[in-house]
Amino acid sequence: MRIKLIIGENEEIIEISGNKTVKNLLDVINIASETVVVKKNDCIVIDEEPVEDGDSIEVIQVIYGG
Amino acid sequence: MESIQNKVLKDIRKYKLLEKGDKVLLGLSGGKDSVMLLDILNSLRKRNIIDLVAVTIDEGIHGYREEGVEIAARNAKKLGVEHKIVTFKEYFGRTLDEIISKYTIKEGRRNACTYCGVFRRWILNRVARDEGATKIATGHNLDDETQSIVMNYLEGNIQNLTRIGPKSESLNDKFTIKIKPLREIPEKEIGLYVVARELDVHFAGCPFAIESFRAEVGSFIKELSREHPTIMYSTLRGFDKMKPVLKREFSRKYPIGVCEKCGEPSAASLCKACSFLKDWEDFD
Ligand code: SF4
Ligand SMILES: [Zn+2]
Repeated sequence: MRIKLIIGENEEIIEISGNKTVKNLLDVINIASETVVVKKNDCIVIDEEPVEDGDSIEVIQVIYGG
Repeated sequence: MESIQNKVLKDIRKYKLLEKGDKVLLGLSGGKDSVMLLDILNSLRKRNIIDLVAVTIDEGIHGYREEGVEIAARNAKKLGVEHKIVTFKEYFGRTLDEIISKYTIKEGRRNACTYCGVFRRWILNRVARDEGATKIATGHNLDDETQSIVMNYLEGNIQNLTRIGPKSESLNDKFTIKIKPLREIPEKEIGLYVVARELDVHFAGCPFAIESFRAEVGSFIKELSREHPTIMYSTLRGFDKMKPVLKREFSRKYPIGVCEKCGEPSAASLCKACSFLKDWEDFD
């Protein structure tokens, strides 16, 4: 399935396989889930939220040093 | 989201962090913690419970601080809160970048946070007095506080441990009392709050925030929290229970004096800020 992935200023369409949750997706793209807030189609969602074809997933990093 | 705000207000009452009529100086960096705290303290200001002034310290960290300062100013303006911007340059004649490039060639970046912390505390205390503030509020969250506890414990810094808490006890009336209303709120929840309320926040990392022992301890605790989600609360709770004993046994009881150069409170004849500045005179 194809989803739109938005990280900061970057937006891209990516292809992922199988049933995935937000957590699984973050693992695939190698982002620690403790440091981000995720929006699916503009709503904040939890890590267990399933990702479906055509979803727009925005990853907002909220934890930084300093 | 309401509930995080209520939790903070409850903690403010529980630990008696604020009294009616307080003039609160908020250290506003533009980051999520201080922007959230601005939002909450402003609700108390609007109900005429406290008076509020926000202060942003521009340390002079090129490529990082500029945006934070702008965001801080926008937030204060939007809420109609009085806002001041103060710089290391005006108070100490040097930006943090200059300090690091000029004086710490050997020790390198590791020490940026040491200088930054000392000078920031100095400025906050000075500005608070100039403004007639009765409290200084900072955005330290549960993650920060747990880091401080574990870090000082691991380093054997028991004196420092006695000073960790929601509210400082002043040993000198030139020290304005410091409060940490977000001390029991996990960093991640603050992130959720600001995203959900669509607050204008500076999300970026300081270029100097690398490889400090604090950062190491921080990632260790975050790693533990994955499998043990309540570990930060239990560390904090346990510490708060031990604290009266630590204080009784280890805290400094005698009042401290003032720095002979700048007049700020200091245990030694020169405060830390002035002693750094003095060391550097030879380089200039
Ligand atoms: S990370 Fe260190 S140098 Fe950067 S703002 Fe924080 S204390 Fe200052
Ligand atoms: Zn001094």
